[in-house]
Amino acid sequence: MKKTLKSEIITITLSMLLILFVVFALFAFLYYKDTELLMLNFTSKNIMTYANNINKEVIKIEKNAYDLALMGELYYKFDRNKSIAEKTIVQVFDNYPESLGGGVWFKPYVVDRSKRLLCMYAYRNKHGNVVFDPKFESEEYNYPDKSWYKEIFPFINKKDNIEWSRPYYEKEGSDTVMITAGAGMYDNEGNLVGLSTVDWEVNSVIKTISAIKPSKNSFSLFANPSKDYVIVTNDPYLKDKALVGASLKNIPWYNDNLINVRYMTYQNKEFIPYVKILDNEMILIVCVPKNEFLAKMFHSITIFCILLTFLALFLAYIVYSGLRKNIMYPIGKLIYIANKISKGDNDIEIKIENPVEFEKLASTFDKMTRDIKNITKEKERINSELNIAKSIQISSLPSVFPPFPDRQEFDIYASMDTAKEVGGDFYDFYFMDENHIMFIIADVSGKGVPAALFMMTAKTLINNISQIVKDPSDIIEQINNKICASNKNGFFITLFAGIVDLRTGKMSCINCGHNPPLILTNDGKYKYMDLDQNVALGVFENMNFKIVDINLNPGDIILTYTDGVTEALNENDDMYGEDRLKDCLNKNKDITNIKDIINTIKNDVKQFSGSVSQSDDMTMLIFKYYGSENPNHKYCKVLANKDNYKVFYEFIHNFCNEWKISEDISNKMDMCAEEIYANTEFYAYKNVHEGYIELYVTKEDNKIILEFRNNGVEYNPLKRSDPDITLPPEKRSLGGLGIYMIKQMSDEISYQYIDGINILKLTFVNNS
Amino acid sequence: MDIELKREGISSLYVKTSGRLDLDNSVEYGTKIKETVEDSEDIKILILDFKDIIFISSFGLKIILELHKQMMERGSMRLINVSEQILKSFKMVGFDKFLVIE
Repeated sequence: MKKTLKSEIITITLSMLLILFVVFALFAFLYYKDTELLMLNFTSKNIMTYANNINKEVIKIEKNAYDLALMGELYYKFDRNKSIAEKTIVQVFDNYPESLGGGVWFKPYVVDRSKRLLCMYAYRNKHGNVVFDPKFESEEYNYPDKSWYKEIFPFINKKDNIEWSRPYYEKEGSDTVMITAGAGMYDNEGNLVGLSTVDWEVNSVIKTISAIKPSKNSFSLFANPSKDYVIVTNDPYLKDKALVGASLKNIPWYNDNLINVRYMTYQNKEFIPYVKILDNEMILIVCVPKNEFLAKMFHSITIFCILLTFLALFLAYIVYSGLRKNIMYPIGKLIYIANKISKGDNDIEIKIENPVEFEKLASTFDKMTRDIKNITKEKERINSELNIAKSIQISSLPSVFPPFPDRQEFDIYASMDTAKEVGGDFYDFYFMDENHIMFIIADVSGKGVPAALFMMTAKTLINNISQIVKDPSDIIEQINNKICASNKNGFFITLFAGIVDLRTGKMSCINCGHNPPLILTNDGKYKYMDLDQNVALGVFENMNFKIVDINLNPGDIILTYTDGVTEALNENDDMYGEDRLKDCLNKNKDITNIKDIINTIKNDVKQFSGSVSQSDDMTMLIFKYYGSENPNHKYCKVLANKDNYKVFYEFIHNFCNEWKISEDISNKMDMCAEEIYANTEFYAYKNVHEGYIELYVTKEDNKIILEFRNNGVEYNPLKRSDPDITLPPEKRSLGGLGIYMIKQMSDEISYQYIDGINILKLTFVNNS
Repeated sequence: MDIELKREGISSLYVKTSGRLDLDNSVEYGTKIKETVEDSEDIKILILDFKDIIFISSFGLKIILELHKQMMERGSMRLINVSEQILKSFKMVGFDKFLVIE
């Protein structure tokens, strides 16, 4: 497969992309483990942020408890003014919006021996206002009996001065589930006199914990420091079990070593547990399903890949469009221009400005085009001159056949098919006197313009001499001497000439080194003529030439030709040869029309040559002798004027009678002849006074051929469009009717304009 | 060329001739008839006898068309005794479609 620049560029770009992908894939593979770690850290940090937030809240609550404890101690040690203390509590609460409620509780009888219970407890009511409620001091409430009191008070000491209760439901006050943090209050001697409490709403903890969702199915657990109370869990597999408040031991997946484990198996799935112990030793555990974790990881890798792909494609597009603009486009332009130039369009300005290399190339191209333009012009000039030379050469040969329609004793036809180059073939024929016709065929050695020029000289020379000199051997000797005298370039001419006495059929044949002619005599076969060979003309001066006289009988045919026929080559470099020529003629010896004979030979040679083009001129001249009178030819020539038409139609009626042509056809010929006669009178000679019209009639088997000639202005009647014969009479015009009738009546019709002669040929088939 | 022109009744003209209606004769034939018709306005019917006409060329046909056009304006034209040969010529150019031929 052929490569194009476009495909190459695309291939390079694509392979670049491929390499990029392979490198990336390798990179991704190599750094997969690291990426995993990175993700673990990332997730861990993410979870820690949540944990820290919770931790902060815890610390704040604890701080709140300390503050309240301090406030309680001040109350106990100094003024024991309850209203001031309550105000201070409200102020403390204002600083801790996380706290649901809180206060100070004194040991029974420690403040006042007569009053067992003493506390100051405030909470946020449903409207968000901080309120005190005296019922907490009542005997019914009896706070030392409350679970939170029992859970905190006994465990506080100076060293470990803060304790957390388990979650509990408080119907009084806040009416919600809460956890309470408590701090101890001491007298000057360091004895524990009471505790402060701050309530933390569990619902808000649940909300915070539930919000920790690093992936869809991850879940968390929050437990108290002694691990015997699960505060919150949103483990989806334990949803139905009332595990809140249970010990961590009841959690199926939990063990104390969890903090050191990277993966744990639970419900046939792998999870990554993140464990965080808060400052108050509460435990926060977040479990992330491994597959989701990896999916997340892959998700980010995929996004990265897609981004990279787009980036790579974008880069590839930039590279491709850059190459396209800077290389392919200028090259395409140059190719387009080169194509145009090769088709002959040289008037193109080439403009490419970028890149510089192409600008240079374009300007070189431009210069080349201009050079080609000049060379082409020169070549065209030479070519046209050569063509003119060729046409002058060809037009110097007689080309109207039959050339002497008034002479019925013979028929002559010749044709020359020229090769590309001008050559030196020629033929000629003319009457030497009323009864002697001379025909020649000749070939000047060599090719090209010199040969053609020499041929013209020789042809004129031969014509001139044969008009003056009558004896055949004298003619040829003089021609030879003249040619020798004017031949400085060493040309020579092979020639065959025949001089026929039309009265007797005696023919003088002269062959000067030319191909032997073929003759068809009444024995019905073409034969090569056995003639004495003379030296070609222009070789030696003062030569004697041998003339051979033969007798022609009516019907005899002589075919002469040049070596262009016999030396035509085929694809195997075989020559057509004399045998093939003879065989071809004998196979077609029934053809009587001499023009058809020549065409048959031409076709045979063409078929033989196949695709090989003609390398030499192919010239043939054929002569047929009919005897002193030819019963199949009629000729009539009249001045085309108003009065002479009678002569014309009488001529037609005469040969119709003689040849027993049916009245129908004779009428048709009459009508056609009249129309053509009138046309000749009206059109052909409209600019001159009058001229001749010739009618040359040939009978060939059942065909009658009428050939009308005049040498008036060129007029092709067949070009007239046909009238519409379906029109009603009032719309009918008179023009074109006659030509239309001719076309209808004749079986064949053709028009030619050769050498200033209008030739209209009508063929009628006589079926009777 | 002998051209026989005969008035038959008040409104018709009978024309008979012999030989060829061709380049040589048709103009004379046509001119003579046209002049006669133009001279006497009461001629409404033109009868052309083709009995002795042996040949008609395209020129003859043109004359017949001209005469037909002329007579259409005032009356009618009839061709009588038309031979097969002549009829062929009329048919070739489609004149048989509008000429009254007997």
